[in-house]
Amino acid sequence: MKKNTTEASATTRRSLFKTFLLCLPMMLLTFMMLTGGSMPTGGERLFALAATFLFFNLLFFLMVRTGKTDRFRSILFITLAVCFVFSFISNLIAVRGSMALSRATMIEGGAPFCHLVIPMTLIPAVLTKTIIFPGKILGSYSIAGMFVIWIGVSLALGRGLCSWFCFFGGLEDGFSRILKKPIIKNISKKWTYLPYAVLLVVVLMSALTLSPTYCQWLCPFKTVTEFVEITSVKVLIQTIIFVSLFIGLVVVLPILTKRRTQCGLFCPLGALQSVTNKTNVFEIRIDQDKCVQCNKCIRVCPTFSIDEESLGRGRVKASCTKCGKCVDACPQKALFYHVKGTSLSSKLDRYRLLFLYPAFLVLAIIAGRFVQDAMVKAINLITTGTMI
Amino acid sequence: MEAFILGLSNGTTCVAYCAPVLVPYLLGEGKGILQNSVLTAQFLLGRLLGYLLFAVLAWGINRSILQGVSKPDLVIGPAYVVFSLLLIYYGFFKTRTSCKTTCTHGLRHKLMTILPVSIPMIAGFVTGLSLCPPFLLAFTGAVEKTTVIQSMFFFFAFFLGTSIFFIPLPFSGLFRGFSALRIIGRMAAGLIGVYYLYSGIMMLIGGYTI
Repeated sequence: MKKNTTEASATTRRSLFKTFLLCLPMMLLTFMMLTGGSMPTGGERLFALAATFLFFNLLFFLMVRTGKTDRFRSILFITLAVCFVFSFISNLIAVRGSMALSRATMIEGGAPFCHLVIPMTLIPAVLTKTIIFPGKILGSYSIAGMFVIWIGVSLALGRGLCSWFCFFGGLEDGFSRILKKPIIKNISKKWTYLPYAVLLVVVLMSALTLSPTYCQWLCPFKTVTEFVEITSVKVLIQTIIFVSLFIGLVVVLPILTKRRTQCGLFCPLGALQSVTNKTNVFEIRIDQDKCVQCNKCIRVCPTFSIDEESLGRGRVKASCTKCGKCVDACPQKALFYHVKGTSLSSKLDRYRLLFLYPAFLVLAIIAGRFVQDAMVKAINLITTGTMI
Repeated sequence: MEAFILGLSNGTTCVAYCAPVLVPYLLGEGKGILQNSVLTAQFLLGRLLGYLLFAVLAWGINRSILQGVSKPDLVIGPAYVVFSLLLIYYGFFKTRTSCKTTCTHGLRHKLMTILPVSIPMIAGFVTGLSLCPPFLLAFTGAVEKTTVIQSMFFFFAFFLGTSIFFIPLPFSGLFRGFSALRIIGRMAAGLIGVYYLYSGIMMLIGGYTI
């Protein structure tokens, strides 16, 4: 078995020259996106740009050369989440002096709009022609901007958004990699339906109350971004709920189960994204002739998207985030990226490359800003004692 | 007519209040259109009973009988707590009874058999007691009536106006073929139960500010 695996890896490893040629388009694209058309002037900004560019392209180079996807994706994905939190919190403290969101800021429409709010704004927007979120329509962190990005990424990647775009997912992805073996192994299949129930409830409740129910009550990531000032028992209860959900679903359970429990068992946007997987051209397929039913893919899938039934059908579930962990883990190379409607027998790594270009570019674009910003702030902190 | 138009104009708000309770339940039961129509009718009957209760209350207020009740939340709050706990149990813990011989003995089995029938009516009754703005408007209108019959007719007309919007709900049963939807519906009902549990507790503690 080990010999077969080594042989399979050897066949997917590309030559340095060919890898370089395949990486050239990504180098050009990431350079364009990171610079935004103009080179920064400050020394620390120039250093951050160069370091970010090299870091991103090194990871992409290794992905292309080794044939491994998740091994290098996860590094950037976790970096994105950590840098996002660092950059976001430091910005809040610089602008507002605290992470707490005051009522005055909400009235002014100063709350940043994130992609997790999208499902609950759709029906009220149709019914009342208003957006039930105290954010800006245009500008940075705006509602219109996030909607456009969400539609674009959903069309390009489907639920791949959860592993190649979401700036929160890297937190639990990171925690899920701490232990070598899971302590909790058996989770009832029925809980994988919970995200759909949460989606149904937050959509109905948001339409009923004309307020972003998920943001107010459930979003665990408010713990590491911003939250409403505690001025009443109601807000205190809300705070206890979302902090508990963060500790439970983003920290403790991912460590114990080695899975992304918030994404796989709770996130309403993830449930909505599963629907977009149906219309997306990329998918993960299972070659039933090669599969030896070792169930390794079932054990490693972070979002509970593969079970015995999937192996029988040769397809993963709609909740697949296309992270590539199962593809990397399969000793028989029975799992592979695939473009719907194309042959299942021709050179399969081409499909992976076709997926990697848009997926990595999305990740690099979203991560670029936060990684650079976090790096500049860290340099400032070290050299001047202040982040600004 | 005034009450009917009031109900009609505010029906979408009423259905928005009730749909989070009724739709997950209908999906959770996974029955056909006919059975769902019966469940919806039970729900509406419960709602009507809630309305009629308020009609009596309105008349009572009109006659200054219930002036002593200063905190109605202390009556409605415990009801929310009890019924929401029932909903949570239904959503996450209730298992279907498949063998009739095991259902004939014991209080637990009796409850398991009775509750699925009565839950829609109880839920309808509880949502009927919701003090939403259109309801308060109707209540204010009913308070103006001088006899209990007039007050009840007023609320009945209001109920008819709002009930028109419930007609599409039984068609949730079209999804009964998908077993996953049943699980999702039950879990959603359980989550709604958590919301009502919170509402009940807040009513009891009076929403103190710190």
